[in-house]
Amino acid sequence: MTVRVDDQSSESGNYEYVTARVRSRRAALFDDDDYRKLVRMEPGGIARFMEESEYETEMNALGARHSGVNLVEYALNRNLAKHFEDLLRWSEGRLYDYIARYLRKFDVWNVKTVIRGLYVDADTSEIEDDLIRAGEFSERLLDRLVNAGSIEEVVDLLSDTIFGDDLAAAYQDYEDTAVLVPLENAVDRAFYEVLLAGLPNQRAADSATGLYVSFLTAEIDFRNLRNALRLARSGADIEPSEYYIEGGRLFDESTIRQLAGNTDQLVQRVRESPYGDDLDEALDTLEEAESLIEFEHALDAALLEYSDRLSNRYPLSVCPVLSYILAKEREVDNIRAIARGREAGLDSDEIEQELVIL
Amino acid sequence: MRLSGTNHRITTMAFAPLQAFIALQEGSTAAAPAIPPLAGAALAVGLAALGAGIAERGIGAAAVGAVAEDDAMFGRGLILTVLPETLVILALVVVFLTL
Repeated sequence: MTVRVDDQSSESGNYEYVTARVRSRRAALFDDDDYRKLVRMEPGGIARFMEESEYETEMNALGARHSGVNLVEYALNRNLAKHFEDLLRWSEGRLYDYIARYLRKFDVWNVKTVIRGLYVDADTSEIEDDLIRAGEFSERLLDRLVNAGSIEEVVDLLSDTIFGDDLAAAYQDYEDTAVLVPLENAVDRAFYEVLLAGLPNQRAADSATGLYVSFLTAEIDFRNLRNALRLARSGADIEPSEYYIEGGRLFDESTIRQLAGNTDQLVQRVRESPYGDDLDEALDTLEEAESLIEFEHALDAALLEYSDRLSNRYPLSVCPVLSYILAKEREVDNIRAIARGREAGLDSDEIEQELVIL
Repeated sequence: MRLSGTNHRITTMAFAPLQAFIALQEGSTAAAPAIPPLAGAALAVGLAALGAGIAERGIGAAAVGAVAEDDAMFGRGLILTVLPETLVILALVVVFLTL
């Protein structure tokens, strides 16, 4: 784990430089027209289109080993990792801390990928391809994780990181039950615990930072909400509090246990919460729609729009960076959805429903 | 009655040094001011340059970031970076006014 955060968190950070670069990259992302073109292309056409775009380097580097939709997917991941790694490289001081907090979610992804890979005895190279090297872990640590022979070794390697304690505690559970759920829960919980730790209180912070804190809180709330909705929909007999993440302001542990069984009550609860206004449309679609997918897309769109508004209101803050990160994630998700959708033979209208476009 | 009398005495005592100070100031107006006009003008230019420098710090950082992403931004970045220099140029007018 880096020591940079502790050394420099007292410094204020180089907002001007990072914001200028990030805005330029935000403007270079695919727009509506590009998506409209992509949706109508064949899988081969999508690959060719990407070779002539921002993703050229990655497509060429991976072109020899993969093909088709897998090539597109790996290129997307690698490009995402490159850009987010850049963000961490540029930023200093408090700004680095803010960005790293959010980008650690890719560390979570990587740890889970490695553990899952080991669980199903996947090839080293297969695991390596699925990693997204965007988090705070160094190249060396990731390489050692990939080459680890057993899950126990992975837990050992991670003992110095934020995941160390929780993973070590959960390893016993894993050995007893031989399912991955305790380990994955431990990783998630460690991530969300650090997400808000040490940040100024919402009211005490100046406005831009305060809004960033409330964004992270919202992230936790939405995660809880999604988990609760999924539980309610699937009707699975799982103790909801096992998936509960602390730090949100929407639920506490007892309310989530009561509400998890009932979608209507959950929706009612969200409507009355501070998020009610922003999510009105999303909630309406949820009540009408049969599936959760549309609601989750509406959630994503609402979040993206909100972050854009923030980035205009507070130009010299972490908000533009955040808005870029979200937009880039959406772009990667969208292109992946298009490529996968075309491969599966969906028609363009169906694919367009899967996209999150502002 | 008696109480207010003491009060009055106290106020006169309190203002005594102030009156002496005012007298002192009136006496010194005839002498040279603490900061001569030309030195004042020089200070104005210096402070203006300091302000311009602070302003350019942020703009320069942003401009370098923009140029790193897109070379075509070099011209615009340069212009925006030196815009606060107008502050110094305007401050120079003060020098010519005092000369």
